[in-house]
Amino acid sequence: MASIARKNLFEDIPRFLVAQAGIMFAVSLVTIQTGILNGFTRSTALLIDQSSADLWVGSEDMLQLEVTLPMPLQNLVTARQVKGVARAEALMIRTGLWRSSSGSIEPVRIYGFDPKGQLLAANWKFISGDLAKLDAPYTVLIDRASRNTLDLQDVGNTGKIGSLPANLVGIVADTQSIASSAYIFTSLENANAYGTAGLTSSLNCRLTGDDIKCLNSFATLPDNQPTNIPPPKALSFTDPITYILVKAKPGQDLQDLKQRLAKQLSGTRVYTQAEIADKTRTYWKSRTGVGFILGLGSVVGIIVGMVVVSQILYSSVADHIKEFGTLKAMGASDWVIAGIITEQALWMAILGYLPSMALCVGLGFWTMSAKGIMILITPATAIGILGVTIIMCVGSAMFAIQKVTRVDPAIVFKA
Amino acid sequence: MADSQVNLAEPAPDADQVASTSVIADGHIHQAIVARAVSMAYQSGNERFEVLKGIDLEIKQGDIHLLMGPSGSGKTTLLSILAGILTPVTGTVHLLGAEITSMSREQLAQFRLEHIGFIFQESNLFPALTALENVEVTLKIEGVHGHSNRRQRALELLDQVKMANKANHLPRHLSGGQKQLVAIARALAGNPELIMADEPTAALDSHSGHTVVELLRTLAKEAGKTVLMVTHDPRIVDLADRIAYLEDGLLRSSS
Repeated sequence: MASIARKNLFEDIPRFLVAQAGIMFAVSLVTIQTGILNGFTRSTALLIDQSSADLWVGSEDMLQLEVTLPMPLQNLVTARQVKGVARAEALMIRTGLWRSSSGSIEPVRIYGFDPKGQLLAANWKFISGDLAKLDAPYTVLIDRASRNTLDLQDVGNTGKIGSLPANLVGIVADTQSIASSAYIFTSLENANAYGTAGLTSSLNCRLTGDDIKCLNSFATLPDNQPTNIPPPKALSFTDPITYILVKAKPGQDLQDLKQRLAKQLSGTRVYTQAEIADKTRTYWKSRTGVGFILGLGSVVGIIVGMVVVSQILYSSVADHIKEFGTLKAMGASDWVIAGIITEQALWMAILGYLPSMALCVGLGFWTMSAKGIMILITPATAIGILGVTIIMCVGSAMFAIQKVTRVDPAIVFKA
Repeated sequence: MADSQVNLAEPAPDADQVASTSVIADGHIHQAIVARAVSMAYQSGNERFEVLKGIDLEIKQGDIHLLMGPSGSGKTTLLSILAGILTPVTGTVHLLGAEITSMSREQLAQFRLEHIGFIFQESNLFPALTALENVEVTLKIEGVHGHSNRRQRALELLDQVKMANKANHLPRHLSGGQKQLVAIARALAGNPELIMADEPTAALDSHSGHTVVELLRTLAKEAGKTVLMVTHDPRIVDLADRIAYLEDGLLRSSS
């Protein structure tokens, strides 16, 4: 049978298109904001998700992956001796200043790890180059999302961190956090060297009464360092590392192992992979206000959509008030009339949602490939936004339904 | 209705007594419409307007009954009350033996759906639906199940009003008379015993008006339907069984 709702919708094509444009704007805004939030929060813990470690040992003061305090390398040796540990590897996080071959500078986050290890990089997807070359002095990997930022297009390109050279030996995918500076992956020794590259320190102490007061002064080195740079020095047990990644022996109870590690390593806290990923994502979502800001954008989108749909449905009902009045005079119940308008709202929701979602998915692919920004639209997100769209449109129909159910059927007798 | 109704709070006549006038001894309905002491008033600010003043009216089943009178005499208000769309402030109305003035809003809607077909001065067809679809919509509201059933029945109804060949036309492609014929087909969708028409020929040319009236007369005389029609149209007078004249809210004469 003919659907009054559907036919009314297409009766006035320009008005229909205006309505759909409004709904598409609203749905796209909600989808993009939600997708950016999803992509953002997911990206902040991509490194953790891709690791093979069962447990992460970090500082007890750790706020999120990149905001924490160091521990001595000695802890790695201790961790390897804990019962139930199959493998333990160090992860060192430093900051530095990247200088590209063209001379531009960029803050970078330096991740040092054991290239021969199995717990951090085993699952990485290489776009070019390979992990084995990272053993050489002053070699680095980057994520493809940072290529333009660091002005490194392919393997063999170079730059500097502080005063030290950095030779690109590989490009990986899906490791970079949107929230963070560009990542530089390198060996532990290189990372340790890069962490203090470009700085000299001098420790001056003097006796004042019974106290010794010391001042550790750092100064920036000039860029014109000698070309013959010695390789980075081997790490000592007192060198600071940031995390210990632990693989448990098969069948090992992780909660038991967590307790044993925490007991052996004072000042630390042990997290499962899921726990540290969740802690990191929650930090970015909640403590930075990013979730609130993007959520606010979504709410604005919903409000815009509701206003547009309300106006269009209301004017459509006003245009057909005599026809609806006729149905009421004939004996149609308010439910029948409300059903017609609700169906119209549902059609508007579906026809606005589908092209919007296609647009947003396409936009997501483009932003990922062009800008390295992930707009993550999961099936759950897509279904959730469909629900929001339907609620938005049907909710907007309430004004129109109220108008038509209040209409006096006697109006049809007044020509 | 822009103004609020006045509750005059007069006791209604004995409903059983009135109902008995519309049912003969063998149980068959004799009077299709019986109105007793029907009054209606509107309040506008401090002023009260009495639109109908104690109307008594009986209409036999199968009759074509016209309601005539000058503008503002209360014809449309009386029609609305007799159709169960407005509730009088006093008085009772029995349709087909049932007292509609004591029915709830929902019961009234159901009663109208089952027993009354409406024809208005304007056809009020949904402009986005074809003639066939406009009739189908009414059939669906009437509770006719199945798409093919509804389509078949709608085509029969359009054929009954000689509009089957225009079934797939949108209202904007039909003349005023043709739209009114489709509206009659729609009014017949529930096979109603009563047809209430409000100046159905007012907007039609002579030929179209004649076609519509002839059709209504056929429905009354051959299908036994009772037609109550508000009109100013003198061309219809000859076709009516009875005519009631309203003036200043009073039934002046009935012939």
